[in-house]
Amino acid sequence: MWTRKASLMVTSGISLILIGMMISNFQLMIIGLTFISFLAINGWVSGHSELEVTRAINGTQTNAINVYKGDDVVVELTVTNNSYRRTQQLEVFDNVPHEMKMRKGINQMRMNLGPGQTSRIKYRVRCPLRGHYTLGPISVRYRNAFNLYVNESQIEDRTDVTVFPQVREIEEALLRSDVPKMYTGATTLKTPGQGMEFYSLREYLPGDAFRSINWKAYAKTGDLMVNEKTRDAVTDVFIFLDTRDVSRIGTVLKNPLEMGTVAAASVSTYFIRRRDSVALVTYGEKVEYLPPETGDKQDYKVLSRLAAVEAKGSMPLQAVTNAMSARMSRGSPVFIISSLEGDGTTLPAIRHLAGKGHEVIVLSPSSIDLERLVSRIPRMSYEVLKLERQNRLTAISGYGAKVIDWMPDVELSQALLQVRSV
Amino acid sequence: MAMESVPESQTLHIPKLRRRWQVLVLQLISTASLLLVMKRMNSVFGSCTDQFIADSGGPESTYWCPAYEHTRGLRYWSDSDSIDLFLPDFVHGLVDTSGNILSGDATFVAPVLLCAVITALWVYLLHQSEKVQMWVNRLVSIGFVGWMLLPFLLSWIYAMVVAGPHLPFGNDNPAYNHIEHLWEPFMFIFEMVFLGIVFAPILAGLMGIWGLSKRMITWAVGYFLMVVGIHAMLTFEGITDAVDVGLQPLPAQIGDATLYGGLVSPLSLTLISIAILIIVFMESGLAVISHLEYAAMLPEEAKRNPEYVTQFRNVMNSHIVHMVSITAVVALTTAIALEFDDFLISLVGLLEGSQWSGQVRESLELQLTYGKVISAGLFLLVVAGMRFVLPWQRVTGIIETGMSRIRSTD
Repeated sequence: MWTRKASLMVTSGISLILIGMMISNFQLMIIGLTFISFLAINGWVSGHSELEVTRAINGTQTNAINVYKGDDVVVELTVTNNSYRRTQQLEVFDNVPHEMKMRKGINQMRMNLGPGQTSRIKYRVRCPLRGHYTLGPISVRYRNAFNLYVNESQIEDRTDVTVFPQVREIEEALLRSDVPKMYTGATTLKTPGQGMEFYSLREYLPGDAFRSINWKAYAKTGDLMVNEKTRDAVTDVFIFLDTRDVSRIGTVLKNPLEMGTVAAASVSTYFIRRRDSVALVTYGEKVEYLPPETGDKQDYKVLSRLAAVEAKGSMPLQAVTNAMSARMSRGSPVFIISSLEGDGTTLPAIRHLAGKGHEVIVLSPSSIDLERLVSRIPRMSYEVLKLERQNRLTAISGYGAKVIDWMPDVELSQALLQVRSV
Repeated sequence: MAMESVPESQTLHIPKLRRRWQVLVLQLISTASLLLVMKRMNSVFGSCTDQFIADSGGPESTYWCPAYEHTRGLRYWSDSDSIDLFLPDFVHGLVDTSGNILSGDATFVAPVLLCAVITALWVYLLHQSEKVQMWVNRLVSIGFVGWMLLPFLLSWIYAMVVAGPHLPFGNDNPAYNHIEHLWEPFMFIFEMVFLGIVFAPILAGLMGIWGLSKRMITWAVGYFLMVVGIHAMLTFEGITDAVDVGLQPLPAQIGDATLYGGLVSPLSLTLISIAILIIVFMESGLAVISHLEYAAMLPEEAKRNPEYVTQFRNVMNSHIVHMVSITAVVALTTAIALEFDDFLISLVGLLEGSQWSGQVRESLELQLTYGKVISAGLFLLVVAGMRFVLPWQRVTGIIETGMSRIRSTD
């Protein structure tokens, strides 16, 4: 493609030739002819040839990578000229999503590779926002030495980067909780079943496995006794994450949704590590449900789902709990992570859940304080809004739910220690 | 292959790049081209017609026509009794330091040196802080305005206090015509205008090359083209019939190709060289700025990264190679294109006898300028199309690969 300079040059060249012919002036004609000749000769030198470009992430060549929010990714592009001719002046540019922040180096280079030569572009980007991103494609722009012709092409080499929300360590916080039976489901379900840990001895019954017989006990008592084990999967934990449009209040990095994803990821990982089953329900524009399962695969599914959530819609909580109640196992703990703003159905929904015997824990990022980060709220209005919120939280705790008022500057582990209940 | 680590002197920081030989070569090429354009244009567009000189009193008299030459106008002024030039004559290039009258290329030396000094001061100023630049700008502007107006205002106010209110002009007593104080600064401005006809593009070009300003380089090129255009207009027969300003027109015929084995005529060589020099000046000057802009955009780590340093060197080297080879080929192609009509006439001459060949030959010869340009255009079309025929990039690539293999086996 011709650049503006080339177009200007050809226009002036032709104009000078024509004016020169009109007024019989050789100098004008010759300058015009020289401009045209300059363009014609430069046209002989054409763009890049067979280029091989590969991308390595953190030292390995891969098409997909998972990182946690705030992590750095080291990208290395290797550009090789596999042809028998020079590439001429190239500008190689690796397309990086604008959400990622360049930490070291730069994602482009101006190069001129001889036959067989290789060059490397190495840079480091930080991923400050969770989500699903793509590195690439790689843009290769050939530019004529005199900036007369530009030819831009793309090499379809893409690497998917999934940025999970950060997972905070919360175990310590839960152990130090003032409410020791906070997750009653998790402790009461330590019943006999197919597991690893010893539970008790009982008399042999027909059908018991021969290998479960405790021969020492048989020798002592003379009766056949068998070892009973604990059940491993102790409970299902349900996490409801509010992704409604109101959850975007605050800054890009600090808002109810971002705080909520961190909390959901941390709680989910904590319980999955304990071999519990975790289900995730996100609601905003629509309800998305991840059925309860356990294991690393479930952890990955939950984190992936959390990476993709966006603040949209205005679905009420009660509609979600009504839809989900049939699928929720009895007595299982329920985490509701929501700013509780703009939803009049919060109270009846929580009352309904508590009434069905669920242990309800409400983790509520303080949207009023988050809003203060971006806009100035008059002191009186702030006090009134804060009072309204306190009343709402008190009303919720009145239904037997455990309520955590999560301030923006408080770490999750610290916030979990502040459980308020009746 | 990239180097292991980058020596401090070879990083891509602008102060270090400005001392890199590739950058200096391009800047020197650009500067040399600029000065050569001035010299060539002066030789082609710097003279008055013999008739005009004769009408003005002969070669020994003082005369002025709006040619691309500075001494004639300044001497015309300086010789008139009523006007004194503000700057010394040796600064204008009229005389040397001993007072001997200069002529030819020697007249350019002092003004070009003055331009170089102004450029050096300007570049030095650009490297100072913004505060210093602002103060220097203010001081120069205020100083100039003060020099223009203060003598006039002070003398007028003082005279009014002493002799009562009066206008600063039209008085019987010349001591009360204070407006005269404005004359000297105005004369200085006019003097600058006369010098500027020749040296404004030189100053702008030098500032553009060494002060890294694309706008100034482009302005200088535009100025040269404007001079050529105005000269062409003022020497056009239709115009000279009405108003003859005495400019020497270019010959109506390009002349026979007598140089370089019949390749080019002396006139076309001169005219082609002006066009080529303008292109070389512009391209090498702009290239430096473009590459330094790229280097300035790089973050600190990239400026010290061996890969970036190696590739920057590659790009600069290939730019110099392109500059030399392409401009040489362009010059050759333009020269051949201008003589392509001769080739066509000779070709048609081989078909002597047919009525068609006779007519073609006659039309080519009769139309002269048109025939030359149209045939040159045809030739350039063929040249442009040759990119689809000649795989010369591949050929040079194979040669380069072979050479690198030989070097590696050594």
